[in-house]
Amino acid sequence: MIALLRMELAKLGRLSSVRFGLVVLALFPWLWAYAPGVFDVYGFFIVSGFQVPALSLLSSMAFLLPLLVAIAAAELLGLEIQHGTLPTVLLRPVTRSQWLLAKVLVASAIPFLGLAWFLIASLAAGVSFGFGPFVGGTGLGREGLLGVGLLVPAEAWSELLRAYLVAAYALVPIALLAVLFAVLFMNAAAGALATLATLIVMELLVVFPGLMPYLLTSQLSAYVVPHADLGWVVALIAFYCAAFAAAAVIVFERKDF
Amino acid sequence: MDAAATPETPAIETVRLTKRYGRRPVVRDLSFRVAPGEVYALVGPNGAGKTTVIRLVAGLAFPTEGTVRMLGENPHERPSVRRKLGAVVEAPAAFYPYLSGRRNLRLHARLAGGVPPGRIAEVLERMELTGAADRPVGIYSLGMRQRLGVAAALLTRPAVLVLDEPASGMDPLSLHLVHRVLREAAEEGTAVLLSTHHLEEVVSYCHRVGLLEEGVLIDTVDLRDRGIRYRVRVSDAAATVAMLRTQPWVREARLRGEHVVVALADDVGAPRLAAALVTAGIDLTELSRDVFDLRAHYRERLTAERVRRTATDALTVDAPLGRAGRGAGRDGGGPA
Repeated sequence: MIALLRMELAKLGRLSSVRFGLVVLALFPWLWAYAPGVFDVYGFFIVSGFQVPALSLLSSMAFLLPLLVAIAAAELLGLEIQHGTLPTVLLRPVTRSQWLLAKVLVASAIPFLGLAWFLIASLAAGVSFGFGPFVGGTGLGREGLLGVGLLVPAEAWSELLRAYLVAAYALVPIALLAVLFAVLFMNAAAGALATLATLIVMELLVVFPGLMPYLLTSQLSAYVVPHADLGWVVALIAFYCAAFAAAAVIVFERKDF
Repeated sequence: MDAAATPETPAIETVRLTKRYGRRPVVRDLSFRVAPGEVYALVGPNGAGKTTVIRLVAGLAFPTEGTVRMLGENPHERPSVRRKLGAVVEAPAAFYPYLSGRRNLRLHARLAGGVPPGRIAEVLERMELTGAADRPVGIYSLGMRQRLGVAAALLTRPAVLVLDEPASGMDPLSLHLVHRVLREAAEEGTAVLLSTHHLEEVVSYCHRVGLLEEGVLIDTVDLRDRGIRYRVRVSDAAATVAMLRTQPWVREARLRGEHVVVALADDVGAPRLAAALVTAGIDLTELSRDVFDLRAHYRERLTAERVRRTATDALTVDAPLGRAGRGAGRDGGGPA
């Protein structure tokens, strides 16, 4: 299993969607850090380098990051379909569930790797603003970007890391949904599109307020949820992950190739 | 149904194998066995179901009915049996194009649970790919990719080789190489199941050939039963046939066009035949091995099957027409 995981991780760098995503995530924070209209949209001026990662996350979590994660996860399987290597792998003494489990684990790693890169790029974009103590907020703690007074770097780092970690975790079910759809359709583009369509439909379910707390899309803002309320969110996301992964394995086990 | 049974466990065995996609049957009631060291070729027109059979046997597709066993195990229930399987199921064989041939084989070796040191170099050399081993597969020609596919299949010294069109798109030299390697693998005890259109090549080393038409095994030709035959061109063919039929060491002698085809007893060779003809004063101008004309047999069996099917279809179409005719009569008689 370790050998399988290593092989699958090595393939990540070959995915064109991953390469494209890395470029976009590297450029995005620079655009937002120096965009002339930030004050008009958010009503504040960036005063600290710690605010750039927050601003990047706030503006990308609703659409850009789910999109990039869905496409990369779907392409993880699409790569095999494109090269016709799926049967080749399945002819070896590896069980189908083992192989798909390796894909699922690597797909789950995509949001964490992507957001780690995004955080580094955002911090790099914020260098000119400095990383010292400042009056205001990171945008990821109490009172958002306005804050509650002086914020010391240790506290700012803690808020940033926690928010990025939770955001990455909230994106994992999206990656696994993309894997499930890619397995169903045996097509990367169809897998990514079906995932996005599902997310859009979930967004539209705002007209059913009772459903909202349970929807996948509602968890995308989990990174600003207070620490005390995170337990429920973490459990719900874990449930989605388990359900999507199990469904993908079950479908894959019965596929003809 | 294949009647040839072996006392040992067959390397491959299918029993009443049926595969339907939706309501459309692709393979119907297919039963055959391949013994260790035997080469079994599946031939048939495009769409006959050869690839589906190969994929069912390799465990890539699930049978709708019937069973597949590899070395006595169901490959779906016991995937570990695939340690003893080498297979090429794509034409051209599929590899990661950005990796070199050698790295692709390393990846296969890792998936297979490892191979002895030097084995990768050995199979690359056997398939005459040593020079290209470190180039990316993406720039390989079709024939090179096919040869790499066979190299990957041979990597683990498999007990069972399953190959779908292994020589597809190859030049004559590569074609000869692949068939030679398959023959050698069989001689070492590997059971070989392949689908092919190269009838002339496979007939020289295949033990049995299964003729597939619309998913049904319409005939199995056991080439071993045919023994060694010789073809001679002589001054008087009819007299030669008459003379040969009197010889106890001649199993069969018959005319085929201008030639006489002779089947000899097991311990008799061509020199004895030539000597007998010369001694009898027959002017011998040609003596060569007579290879079974599988193409002619294939054409003949396929035509017969299609004629039979057309006749059956006509009968089944006629029956409802008859009923419709009677119904129309009744309907016609009603309102009028």
